[in-house]
Amino acid sequence: MTLRPATAALIFFFAATVAFFCLTAPRFATATNAENLMSGFSFAAILAMGEAFPILARGIDLSIGAIVGVVGMVVFDLTQILHLPGYVILPAALVTGAVAGVINGVLIVRLRLSPFIATLATLAAFRGFVYAISGRQLVPGLTTTPITDPWITGLETYFDLGGALGLTNFIAMPWFPLSFFLMLALFAIFQTLALATRFGRDLYSVGGNAEAARLAGVNVNRTVVAAYAIAGFSAAVAALIMVARFTTSTEALGTGAELTAIAAAVIGGVSFSGGIGSMFGPALGAFLLGAVLLGLTLMGVPQFVQQIITGLILLAAVGYDRLMALARQRRLASNLAEAA
Amino acid sequence: MAEYIKGWAGRRTFLKGMALGSAALASAGTALLGDRSVDGLGVARAWADGSRHKMAFIQWQPHTVPAAWSKGIEDVLKPQQVIDYELLDGQNKVEVQASLMDTLISQGASVIFLQPIDSVALAPSIAKAKRAGIAVITLNIDATEPHAAHVEMNHYYGAMDIAKAMGDHMGGKGKVAILNAPPGIIIRDQRTNGFVDGLKKYHPQIEVVADQVADWDRKKAQDVLHTILAAHPDLGGVYGVNDSMALGAVDVAKEKGLIGKLVIFGNDGEVAALESIENGELTGTQYTDVYQQGRLAAAAATVLATGGVPATAFAHQSHLLMPYIIATKDNVGSIQPSQRW
Repeated sequence: MTLRPATAALIFFFAATVAFFCLTAPRFATATNAENLMSGFSFAAILAMGEAFPILARGIDLSIGAIVGVVGMVVFDLTQILHLPGYVILPAALVTGAVAGVINGVLIVRLRLSPFIATLATLAAFRGFVYAISGRQLVPGLTTTPITDPWITGLETYFDLGGALGLTNFIAMPWFPLSFFLMLALFAIFQTLALATRFGRDLYSVGGNAEAARLAGVNVNRTVVAAYAIAGFSAAVAALIMVARFTTSTEALGTGAELTAIAAAVIGGVSFSGGIGSMFGPALGAFLLGAVLLGLTLMGVPQFVQQIITGLILLAAVGYDRLMALARQRRLASNLAEAA
Repeated sequence: MAEYIKGWAGRRTFLKGMALGSAALASAGTALLGDRSVDGLGVARAWADGSRHKMAFIQWQPHTVPAAWSKGIEDVLKPQQVIDYELLDGQNKVEVQASLMDTLISQGASVIFLQPIDSVALAPSIAKAKRAGIAVITLNIDATEPHAAHVEMNHYYGAMDIAKAMGDHMGGKGKVAILNAPPGIIIRDQRTNGFVDGLKKYHPQIEVVADQVADWDRKKAQDVLHTILAAHPDLGGVYGVNDSMALGAVDVAKEKGLIGKLVIFGNDGEVAALESIENGELTGTQYTDVYQQGRLAAAAATVLATGGVPATAFAHQSHLLMPYIIATKDNVGSIQPSQRW
């Protein structure tokens, strides 16, 4: 695998950002801050990787935050009202997320809706569904009852890797949250899926040119549905991490998460024109956004300025993506001219 | 002190009530530290050794109430010159609030003021702060994890008094609508249940014909009330669970020429609502001195920080309820300019 210029630029930008904050933001270069970055943004990285699949298929999933809400509330109801054991709830949560994603995919391929409209509709519908099934409304006392099932709360565990490896004798090491390892595991799986399987090849070809892919014998519909199912599945994993972290779910859980996920994916070099990008970019993009937020907060920069800066980074990433697309077009045109 | 009061006698009762309330709060603040000997000279000592304390308030989302708390907190903390204070925005997301808590803990803040979006969701963050010796003071929404102190408006009993006052203005009968907050928030339940229970207790003939969500928002409240009025043209009263929504109802009443006919009550007591009452538009609101609520929290925080009282020193959590009045045209003049937020 070769390093794409976009990925190289992202790694450079991430390193530069971290170096900048290490020098300027008090307490940025500390073990606890690294721990906060990992525990606070691993779920965002998972969402960004999930979001990358629909974008790779030249679509978008606006409902990913609402799916987080649905899965969170399903977990809440199953634990708090039905008192099911955690080992039943975990797979049920993952299935719920995947099914929600399949609904998105089916709406897009069967009703021929544009992904933007279809997932905008399900964004509203899923969020409404969260309120409809909210156990917090059905049984008011549950609003102040934390989830204690060890299978779920166990997801919020920290590992003292530095201590285990004896590194703490030399340097202060952060404790690594389980969510970070879940993120790494999903990264490995998704990266393999995208780059080393038939499905991955189909996905890139559908994103590049759906009509050409169909003529080449790719089952376009199945590929698209699968891409949205993966996005929904990722939302479910993120929801589980959040529920474990907060020991509850709220009706608003995941609101606006789609924007961060899309921003991270685009910053990570996943092109809106489809078929270009990997899993590494979105994950690093999410941590870049996290590092910027933490760094600016530590520097005492007001949050509205942080939002402006985040917007500018996104704008730069989209602009870079556009420049690259234009360069590709020019190259293609000159190649065609040479051939003629 | 929370009774619905009229005229000069009422004003005196109100002022006395506020004074008594403040005294009660001050003694509660002392009780907070009652079983703890505080060494050194607090602010003076911090001055001498040049150490500075960091404090921050994590609000839910921008609104008049947290803005007034923050000003009250700043009024107390700024003059001491040894405390760095900042206001942080939770952006209406529990994950943002939790991340900000993490950041403040790693910064070694002395005290964190928190308006939690959810009582349970922020509990693990509060527990983490406690382990780091950082005292957490919650405002308005309590958390399930016990912490240093909780300073709250009197939502439930205040709403009962609103129901009583509203029924009095309506002559004890008629239909009312509630413009409500989105579900899932404790203060929504307290402010709604108090109102409904108050109607049952004082004015059982008044019927709640609509209870609709208007997202705490003035504009949304206008739209929602238009719809409600279409279904119930004989509506006699509107209760906005906060002042913004009640003022939205005032906008609709003005537009439809219903001022004077429609009894409208709000909740909070922000300056725009008090002015609207003085103009004879809004019928009344539950007024709480929110600056004072912030100052009180900040006063307690200062003692904790400069006295070196760690979060682990508390046997149990203090719970302070703010005094309030039901402000109407009769008594709104007694609320001093410096108390208006």
